[in-house]
Amino acid sequence: MVFNSLTFAVFFACVLALHALPLPWAVRKTNLLVASYLFYAAWNPPFVLLLWISTVVDWYAAQGLVKARRQGSRRAWMLLSVVANLGMLAYFKYGTFLLDNFRVAMLAVGVDYQPPAFDIVLPVGISFYTFATMSYTLDIYLRRAEPARSFLDYALFVTFFPHLVAGPIMRPTELVPQFEQPRRASANQLYFGLALMTLGLFEKVVLADGFLAGPAEAVFDGAKIPGALDAWIATLAFSGQIFCDFAGYSTTAIGAAMCLGFAMPDNFRFPYAAIGFSDFWRRWHITLSAWLRDYVYIPLGGNRHGEARTYLALMATMLLGGLWHGASWTFVLWGGLHGLYLSIERLLRRRFAGVKPGALALFGIALLTYALINITWVFFRARDFGTAWRMLVAMSGQQAGAVPILPAVDLIAVAVIVSGIVAVHWLMRERTLESVIARTPAPLLAALWACLAFAIVIEQGSGNAFIYFQF
Amino acid sequence: MPSSTSSSETSTRPGFLRPTASDRPGVAQPVPDRDVPAHPWGRILGAAVVVFVLAIGAWEWRLRTLELLPGDLGDDSSAWAQQRRRIDAEPGAMAIVGDSRILFDTDLDRFEALAGIRPVQLALQGTNGRPFLQDLADDADFTGLAIVGIAEVSYFRDAIGLKGDVLKRYRHESPSDRSSYVLHRSLSRVFGFIDEEYRLSKLVRRLDPGLRAGTRGPSDEPWKMISATDARQAWLWPRIEHDARLAAHAVSIWDAWGRLPPVTDDLIARTQAATRDAVAKIRARGGDVVFIRPPSAAALRVVEDKRLPRSRGWDALLAAADVRGIHADDDAAMQGLVLPENSHLSRACSTVFTDAYVRRLAALTDRVVLRAAAPAPLAAADCAPQSSVE
Repeated sequence: MVFNSLTFAVFFACVLALHALPLPWAVRKTNLLVASYLFYAAWNPPFVLLLWISTVVDWYAAQGLVKARRQGSRRAWMLLSVVANLGMLAYFKYGTFLLDNFRVAMLAVGVDYQPPAFDIVLPVGISFYTFATMSYTLDIYLRRAEPARSFLDYALFVTFFPHLVAGPIMRPTELVPQFEQPRRASANQLYFGLALMTLGLFEKVVLADGFLAGPAEAVFDGAKIPGALDAWIATLAFSGQIFCDFAGYSTTAIGAAMCLGFAMPDNFRFPYAAIGFSDFWRRWHITLSAWLRDYVYIPLGGNRHGEARTYLALMATMLLGGLWHGASWTFVLWGGLHGLYLSIERLLRRRFAGVKPGALALFGIALLTYALINITWVFFRARDFGTAWRMLVAMSGQQAGAVPILPAVDLIAVAVIVSGIVAVHWLMRERTLESVIARTPAPLLAALWACLAFAIVIEQGSGNAFIYFQF
Repeated sequence: MPSSTSSSETSTRPGFLRPTASDRPGVAQPVPDRDVPAHPWGRILGAAVVVFVLAIGAWEWRLRTLELLPGDLGDDSSAWAQQRRRIDAEPGAMAIVGDSRILFDTDLDRFEALAGIRPVQLALQGTNGRPFLQDLADDADFTGLAIVGIAEVSYFRDAIGLKGDVLKRYRHESPSDRSSYVLHRSLSRVFGFIDEEYRLSKLVRRLDPGLRAGTRGPSDEPWKMISATDARQAWLWPRIEHDARLAAHAVSIWDAWGRLPPVTDDLIARTQAATRDAVAKIRARGGDVVFIRPPSAAALRVVEDKRLPRSRGWDALLAAADVRGIHADDDAAMQGLVLPENSHLSRACSTVFTDAYVRRLAALTDRVVLRAAAPAPLAAADCAPQSSVE
């Protein structure tokens, strides 16, 4: 089920009511667990089995890790978890991709291999919950954490519906302790959680789906050849769409958890105000970038084995990060570009280690960062390299035969909304949302809240899935 | 579950009030801190609810003055999928496929009153009926009568059109989709403002009068055309019958068909072949197919015939597919009907047209039998605007 659906509104009201009942804590946790399975099953019931497999495998792998005496046994239990989770991912998410590439490789050596039909439905959010469960066994393997004391707490950590299908990617140490003691939201937590949910849904329903998705789709997926203006506006629209879609999801998830009395971590920190790419990745999809850093980059050596190995680890991590987003070479290239940007930034930082840029220079670097990030979004959004290339040529103003595509109202709407997003990010870059809200007069907050809710309701929405559900 | 690191041990980047996982490399992440800004949140929520309710009330009132009324349920993928599943439950059912003309121009109540059967309405706005005829042909269980509404501009093209995604929804409709559909319909019976064509973003887009030359903008797209109730009983939105601006806008959209190139012989041949195959498949299982060509106004017929004249389109299709058909031109009872925007009948005239074509169907196929208690035939005068009757 998606947050921006009427079904979720009813579901969430029922969950809140159940959670508020004076029942034993174990019963209330069981209610949350069952509700989370219903939340997932509401999309495709049989795939709940995958959740159970992931949950049970990692539970027993962690138990085995704790009991194992020898390092070899510990490694074997850890590998069982990694292979089971990545195996599921490989089959459901990358099966078709791997088979297609195998066919192309065989063709290159003269063998015309025709694979059997391999029509696989991608279980929603599989990349998120497999990463969450893997972090459980990996943290125990790396001796960073102890296993959960209760299977119920652990199962609820994997399945807890606010983060289940699109993150934030939770670590067991962030959530399991919260299930150990009875929790109920205070009145203020409930109200503020609802306010966060309103803000998140406004970003998704009104900005992303209502105003930004259409222009991006018209240019990226249309048959007409765009000129520089249309190509840039479509790319900017996508930059706004994907932020509002995904950050909107995270904000809604954080708000939903808060309404139930639980805390979830920040997943975005005004990323379009980033000064440089390492800063960007500390602000964009924080829980994924931190996951990749902790479980891929650092184990690959990180920056501990010399410059060459550092660049190698960086590039490998970003390429994997790209592939995590989707089974397509365009996503790999997207990750590769980010790896390249990060490497160049690292080089420049070493070369100009003593230079302290002024405020204007920092602003310029931020704008350059945003522009270069938009180049990467082209590969993220384009269906294939042909489309991406066509867009890049158009953005450079070199596209022959271009025709105007987007009507004036779309140009204006995208320019206003995306400028607004970037300006807000810049103003908020060293603040938290809560710190700004704390300084805002209460009547203004009430008016803003009502306006956001009103806009959501009159936009109506069509229950479009969040972009990151497919990852 | 104790973590090996507490938040106090972590470094904080300058300026940030709250560290995140990005500030704590290589350690177990602690339970997050989430503060609630100090405010009287209860009173803020109360005030926000009051303002919200007043705003929604004002919006509802305003849109009702524009004739968006409760009970107009709209037409989405789930509504179509629900009807399509009726055929799964009743393989011998009678189904209507096609575009908006047969959709708006069919009065299902009148059909039922005449023939004792309520057909499954599967026609879709802006959508080619041919893939849906093929869908019925590919459904091994379908043994009923397929009534195919033809508007040449829609049927003789390769694209499926605006609502092609309904088949996907029919093949996989999640439990969540189904429950959201039920809730949406319940709300649509209460609130008039719930209408796909009157969403905030669509209203904003319609402010553009076509400022950027060479682009296809909101003024070049159809606006709200449909008014629908249960079981996909749909009509042309009544406001178009008396709002000259809306009717003129729709007419300008249909007139743009005049800029389309004539249909090629190749496309005609492909359309005929696909139709012939689908008809043959349905007949092989004991089903049957009948085509209906609803009326369009004389001014629009000029545009339509320029792209595909009747002899190359309708007549040739019937011959190639060996099917029987009812063309509005050929029936006196279908003449003189009101077409407010040249393409679709007024609500009252859709009943007259349905009356006429069901009687013709009864003559063409024994799958449609007029009830003994069928109401008396209607005529164009029965749906003429009040002023012209007087």
